[in-house]
Amino acid sequence: MFRETAFNDIERDRTLDGASTGFVMDEDTFRAFYARTARGLWAYLARLTGDRQLAEDLLQETFYRFLRASATYDNETHRRNSLYRIATNLARDARRRSLSRAAAVPAGDDIERMPSLQDVGATERITDFTRAMARLKPRERAMLWLAYAEGASHQEIANVLGLRTTSLKAMLFRARRNLAELLGRAPGGAKP
Amino acid sequence: MKPVDCEFESEILAAVLQDRWPARVDAGLREHVAACEICAEVAAIAGAIDNDRQEMRAQASVPDSGRVWWIAQMRARREAAQTAGRPITVAQVIACACAMGLLGACFGATSAWFQAALHRGLSSLSALRLQTLLPTFLAFVAGHGALFLAMAAILLVIPAAVYLTLLRE
Repeated sequence: MFRETAFNDIERDRTLDGASTGFVMDEDTFRAFYARTARGLWAYLARLTGDRQLAEDLLQETFYRFLRASATYDNETHRRNSLYRIATNLARDARRRSLSRAAAVPAGDDIERMPSLQDVGATERITDFTRAMARLKPRERAMLWLAYAEGASHQEIANVLGLRTTSLKAMLFRARRNLAELLGRAPGGAKP
Repeated sequence: MKPVDCEFESEILAAVLQDRWPARVDAGLREHVAACEICAEVAAIAGAIDNDRQEMRAQASVPDSGRVWWIAQMRARREAAQTAGRPITVAQVIACACAMGLLGACFGATSAWFQAALHRGLSSLSALRLQTLLPTFLAFVAGHGALFLAMAAILLVIPAAVYLTLLRE
């Protein structure tokens, strides 16, 4: 019995030592990948949830799950898509939880209070945009952000959001039109 | 059916994301945007989102990569410890039960007092008759019906209440 326990302890120590090597990348690669993606991902999460603090929490959770995923990535785009897919699912879960608690902060409120804005014009512009984005459906927000902020292709967006590529074109069109109406923009880019 | 996309859409999006729109693009493309409703909308929305993205990125409060790595490592270790600890606990419980069983068997086989007590118990049990026990039991139940009902209700309600509480937690 003692021999067995001692053996188990050794096995456990080995498992603990190997815990970090179970990550999909080493520390240097992670740091470089993080530097390339963290800010963009935070902006995506902040827009999706409307909450800066929640975006930071979800960012950490996203990277942790990404590191622990038992997946192999072909290239940087594949890696990035996987990261955004995890983030999208986490944001969706967080929204469901907040809805079930019936204490959800209206999306966009926190972002509107962001500090260190350069000028009043920028503040107004951000506030208008934030309000308009907050009035869209979460999936429309995600879709528009991925398409026009991240420059993702239709197939990439479909992969991240778990949608069919064939229906994405029409959905993106509707989302874009909704945002344009909420921003009060006439076609051509000018405000009426 | 109304078209939902335009072949120049990706070109306009690329120009917006590369900060070339509208000043540093082909005049032909600008003319197309002025005439095409879809491309005009893409230019307007992509421009607004790109501006917002730049401002958001500038204000992003992201933790240091070293901190995120360190926290992930600690959490992975903790989860690994929990996973590794589970089979040991099960093995220890089984080993303890086996040891107790073995100890009891040894005690039963070697103790004269235990053997005598066991024989007494078995012989008194065989002397009891079911026919005599059953009417006594039924008479007792009939006399204390309310008590039995209350006990049965408690036996049903308490586990259900515990289950529901745990479920809620």
